[in-house]
Amino acid sequence: MYRYILKRLLMLIPVLLGVAFLIFAIMDVAAGDPVYSIAGPDATEEQLDALREEMGLKGTLLERYVRYIGNLVRGDLGTSYVTKLDVMDVYMQRLPNTLKLAILTMVVAVGMAIPLGVTAAVHQNSIRDTVSMVLALLGLSMPNFWLGLLLIMFFSLKLGWFPTGGNQGFRSIVLPAITVGAGLAALMTRTTRSSMLDVIRQDYLRTARAKGVSEKNVIQKHALKNALIPIITVFGVQFSNVLGGSVLAETVFAWPGVGRLVVDAIDQRDIPTVTGALVLTTMLVTLVNLLVDIIYAYVDPRIKAQYTK
Amino acid sequence: MTTYTQVQKQQRATKRYKKRSSFEEIWRQLRRNKGAILGMILVAVIVIIALISPLIYDYQKDIAGQNIKQRLQKPSAEHWFGTDELGRDIFARVLYGARYSLAVGVVAVLVALVIGVTLGASAGYIGGTFENIVMRVTDIFLAIPSVLMAIAVVSALGKSTLNLMLAVGLASTAPFVRVVRASVLVVKDEEYIEAARAIGMRPWKIILVHILPNCVSQIIVQATLRVASAIISAAQLSFLGLGVPAPAPEWGSMLSSGRQYIRDHSYMTLFPGLAIMVTVLSLNLFGDGLRDALDPKLKR
Amino acid sequence: MTKNNNGLILEVNNLVVRYETMDGIVRAVNGIDLKLGYKRTLGLVGETGAGKTTTALALLRLVPDPPGIVECEKLEIDGENILTFDSDKLDQIRGKDISMIFQDPMTALNPVYTVGEQIAESIELHEHVSKTEALKRAGDMLELVGIPRSRANDYPHQFSGGMKQRVVIAIALACNPQLLLADEPTTALDVTIQAQVLELMHELKEKYNTSMIMITHDLGIVAEICDEVAVMYAGRIVEEGTLEKVFNHTKHPYTEGLFNSLPNVKDRKAKLKPIKGLMPDPMDLPPGCAFAPRCDYATEACTQKVPTLTSIDEAHRVACIRYDEPDFHIERRILS
Repeated sequence: MYRYILKRLLMLIPVLLGVAFLIFAIMDVAAGDPVYSIAGPDATEEQLDALREEMGLKGTLLERYVRYIGNLVRGDLGTSYVTKLDVMDVYMQRLPNTLKLAILTMVVAVGMAIPLGVTAAVHQNSIRDTVSMVLALLGLSMPNFWLGLLLIMFFSLKLGWFPTGGNQGFRSIVLPAITVGAGLAALMTRTTRSSMLDVIRQDYLRTARAKGVSEKNVIQKHALKNALIPIITVFGVQFSNVLGGSVLAETVFAWPGVGRLVVDAIDQRDIPTVTGALVLTTMLVTLVNLLVDIIYAYVDPRIKAQYTK
Repeated sequence: MTTYTQVQKQQRATKRYKKRSSFEEIWRQLRRNKGAILGMILVAVIVIIALISPLIYDYQKDIAGQNIKQRLQKPSAEHWFGTDELGRDIFARVLYGARYSLAVGVVAVLVALVIGVTLGASAGYIGGTFENIVMRVTDIFLAIPSVLMAIAVVSALGKSTLNLMLAVGLASTAPFVRVVRASVLVVKDEEYIEAARAIGMRPWKIILVHILPNCVSQIIVQATLRVASAIISAAQLSFLGLGVPAPAPEWGSMLSSGRQYIRDHSYMTLFPGLAIMVTVLSLNLFGDGLRDALDPKLKR
Repeated sequence: MTKNNNGLILEVNNLVVRYETMDGIVRAVNGIDLKLGYKRTLGLVGETGAGKTTTALALLRLVPDPPGIVECEKLEIDGENILTFDSDKLDQIRGKDISMIFQDPMTALNPVYTVGEQIAESIELHEHVSKTEALKRAGDMLELVGIPRSRANDYPHQFSGGMKQRVVIAIALACNPQLLLADEPTTALDVTIQAQVLELMHELKEKYNTSMIMITHDLGIVAEICDEVAVMYAGRIVEEGTLEKVFNHTKHPYTEGLFNSLPNVKDRKAKLKPIKGLMPDPMDLPPGCAFAPRCDYATEACTQKVPTLTSIDEAHRVACIRYDEPDFHIERRILS
């Protein structure tokens, strides 16, 4: 098992280097040569050159990439063009907010999806099934930033229960978490249902019933654990997406997370911040994916057997 | 007992299948699914709206033209969905907006489809180092959250409708590569492929004639559902100000401007969002139905 | 427990099971009666699809509903009318008083729990002992079926088919049930393993005084371990009686057909004589005797009325109207 994890960690290195290169290259195209705008129109060619030297813009794309990776390994992502702050520091300052939102979002999503999906599967083709599936379809079809706006309209402006945005304690995170969580819940409800439907016809549930296991335990203990793998897969993918992709909810609710940092930095053409934030986020996402693969092994002994082979 | 009835059912199913052409069979399955029919009708209506809206409205006058005297009016008989901060009729803009959303969704998916199918099929068929490289690059693309990916691409290429299509398309390519490669791997070693190779058929023709038809249903389903998510992605980027530039009536950018007036003029936020939801919902309903009809094994 | 049960562990009257599906009604079991005495073993014989498994599931009241609908006049196990039981009481007798060995050991075990846990679960539920105690006894059960107890912590995928079937047997026997339903317990196994498993079941049954219904299509197995035989066709019992009567004084044409389909070891040159045709579609049973379309002896009358089981003598009953004719007899090959 440990060897497997080690192997996977080693395999991450090329992926991360690739990701970093991709982002680096895209941002390079996007940025052009930023020295003109920074130095101003009156700068001489020598001044511009000195500035390039100072900002680490000398050399070909590949040379700069290698230099960037070298610095990255030492934890140096450069400084922002705009604020002159250390990119790593800024990122680390935003990260807890994003993590808080991501975790609460997943709690909302799982808390809604598993009961709904299981009920829908157990009572297939009943009213409960239909209602769950219609809800899931609506959740899946609703753009989450619009849901966020609707929530603000109703719960913040009309009822005044929650703030419209910002980061002031627990109450400000409730609406963003529901906003992002609803769509995920919809997806996970569907996954849970179809995965449970696969399991619910299996012979081993009949064995369990024949043993005298109560129907409740047949579902909760025997069926659910077998249905968990696809659910965990979706969970992992979605958790990754929330880590990097809740830009919209962060924008709607002025939540100072990583996504917002990236969008603002793009607006200001702040290339080191964009590159750094994207690279770090992707690293985080990749680690979450690895974690999911490890969780598989603990849920399903057959997968563990594959890993240790 | 169970095995027996299953066999019987299968026999009956094959009998039925042989009697009708596969298209008729799919249509028959689809017709039984009320949701899919509803979705199909709605999609058709939205496509028609998108096609005829330029005949009804004059872009310069009705869609982009400002009318400050009429600004921020609540929904009324004259302006069904009210007017926006520049006095433009929101109903007209929502209808006209279908053009942008559908165009971006469809073109983006076409981009993803062409790149994804080409790469996926050749990776699966050729194998070896080439396959390895393609799949690792796909992994890299999959590792970057798709919204961030699209944002990065738009910011690199510059803000325009075409670049939005490209960005959303590139961000949704990786799943196609995976799906197609997986189905190619399944049939690649079948004997009829061997046979085709033995009679000297060219690889690209084998892929086109013998391999792709096997996964065409999967590709159609994926594409339909991806158009739905591409429409959401496009709206998201426009909402962030990275999509279709003003004054075009893209639903996402309408939401973005509506947001400034959310306190007192909530209808500005309501209708464009509803339009996105109805469009995506119809595509999802239709796509789900299509999936069930094309792959009865998945149907419950 | 003293109950008014006429010395019977199981008594079933007029059991009917049908599945109401979208495509039509599948008539799986069409009114069968069963009686089984203590420590006796009944062989329930028939082709795949005759309704044997459904019958067993109905006895456990485990026919899935929907689509299954079970009707029964009397269903008594050890003198208790389990038709009146609610789901809690059913859970209490399942696995304790009556348990079942399933046909396919490959799918009968839950892949995400160790075999030890799966055996212990039953013990924990019914004997109300601690988890540690239950696991210890699960180890004992494993040894009883010939698997070292050290393997209790392994998962089903680490076992071979024969070993899995031993585990399934261990689960079924964990709480010494009075009645064991064995649904083709050896069909999925290699021939050499089949013999071992049968031997094991026979031994354990003797040891614990268990009554058993052995569901099988293998007449060899019946001959080996059953006291009584019931032959099922299209959801009905067509012939029943003691092993000796049914095997040596076969009456029903279908039973005859089953024997004639067996290869004759003594006469290797003899041709097999399979039953022609296929079992009728249970969604569309013929009127009259369901076997008539395939029967060499069938007359016009056979297609008119469903024959009832009629006693030939004390220990032998057959459902065939041709026996109304005093001279009628079948031409069964003598095996001996």
